[in-house]
Amino acid sequence: MLEPLIANNVVCHAVEAMVFASIACSILGVVISRMNLASIGFTMSHAAFAGASIGMFLEMNAQMAAIAFSVGVAALIGPISDKAKMAADATLGVLFALCMAVAIFLISYMQYLGKGLSASSLLFGDVISLYREEIYALAAVSLLTIIFVLLFYKEICAIMFNMKIAQASGMRVQVVYYILLFIIALSVALCLNIVGGLLIFVWLVTPASIASQFCFDVKSMFIAAPLVALLVSAFGVWAGFEYTLPIAPLVALLLTGTFGLAVMLSTKRKVTTRRH
Amino acid sequence: MLWELSIIELEGIYTAYEGDDKPIIKDLTLNIDRGEYVVIGGPNSAGKTTLLESINGLVKITHGRAAVCGFDVRRSGHDVRKKVGYVVQNFYFDPFTPFNTQQVVMMGRYGRLGLLKRPIEEDYKAAERAIRMVGIEDLAQKTIGTLSGGQQQKVMIAHNLAKEPEVLLLDEPFSNLDFSAREFLQAILLDLVKGGTPIVIVSHAFDGLPDIRIHLVVMNEGRITKDICCPARAVEDIVRKSSLRQ
Repeated sequence: MLEPLIANNVVCHAVEAMVFASIACSILGVVISRMNLASIGFTMSHAAFAGASIGMFLEMNAQMAAIAFSVGVAALIGPISDKAKMAADATLGVLFALCMAVAIFLISYMQYLGKGLSASSLLFGDVISLYREEIYALAAVSLLTIIFVLLFYKEICAIMFNMKIAQASGMRVQVVYYILLFIIALSVALCLNIVGGLLIFVWLVTPASIASQFCFDVKSMFIAAPLVALLVSAFGVWAGFEYTLPIAPLVALLLTGTFGLAVMLSTKRKVTTRRH
Repeated sequence: MLWELSIIELEGIYTAYEGDDKPIIKDLTLNIDRGEYVVIGGPNSAGKTTLLESINGLVKITHGRAAVCGFDVRRSGHDVRKKVGYVVQNFYFDPFTPFNTQQVVMMGRYGRLGLLKRPIEEDYKAAERAIRMVGIEDLAQKTIGTLSGGQQQKVMIAHNLAKEPEVLLLDEPFSNLDFSAREFLQAILLDLVKGGTPIVIVSHAFDGLPDIRIHLVVMNEGRITKDICCPARAVEDIVRKSSLRQ
């Protein structure tokens, strides 16, 4: 897609992957951070991690297994929270531990069997060895995320404002909540190869947190968060190739640095010194 | 549409939360007609808020018959909530909440609109009307989290008025309001009652009730201990005596 602009194929794929991952994750991040569901990020990433381990163990396509397992976990979050009358965060904690246990168990067992699996690409990602199909899939999920927000904008706003008040006003909040979980699962599973299970959390939370330092309404947050993520990620990819640095951790560090700067410069924290 | 006589008909309902070994609401029967001003009183943990949330189907009714606005609450809670306004108790919006007053009031219309439908001119007008009714025009562009408790309370009342509800449920609506705001709100509620919309209020503050016949319901331990019509000035005394007797 960006070949006319970037001559080097590897760099071009890396930039494309980062751009699409930034768009999908940061848009979802605006909803996640407002709903205090930050833990959904690491639960989903570890679900994808566990799914990929299962795929490798069964000698299947690891990414397809990651997607299937993440979607399965996403489908469990809502009903478990409802049935067990637990806060979504507590449910996420239980599922996170389950996913981590499955992944570690299988990786250790495969090493014991002599299959010699390295989990580092799943944990830290590998943005320079992506297939074209994987980038197309990421582009599709970014588009799906944008369409989801545009279609359900009023429902998303109401849920972000207050779930109980949205429900009391007669909205079908459960439907929108379950679609949201499904898209998060899909995005996280597809981003696993790029930034890895441990760093995906940064893309889900940090751009939205940066945007919230300056934006006073949701619409501008939905524009600012992906824009920030996109610019920082593209710069990170360039810097990573230019100075031969690991790309995903570099972008994570840059995003965190930007967040620190945003907190310092935030207009929301300024106290007026005017007397009148 | 099921029943047409009373707008709220509860017959022998029981409500229980999952995990509780006893129901919160027990064998409760209550009829509320159009244009009634209903006050629900009683001691803490009497089940007053649970009763409101049983009426709009937010809490599951386990036994009995419940019809609100012509819908069976147990089967069509969602349809009931589209027609019933509910001002919840104890809300808090942090200063970073990215919604202004106008947007929050507009959200009151979303349930009526349904999934995937955008607000139209009529919805914007209803929201503007609600803002004017509550007298919060000057707060319209302010972020809700930066408002005082009383102002947030007014916004939530406007949010429910924008919905143009057939029934309005209010849980402790006067708790954050000063004297003049209470009087102002009472005047709005009285107008709604005169227009035929029944008002159901859970409250511990009975001063300032409008000078009309009040349908008073006193609750204790999940049951109705008194269900009478009385003058507004008698409400406090009746609730106090009923609560002391128990």
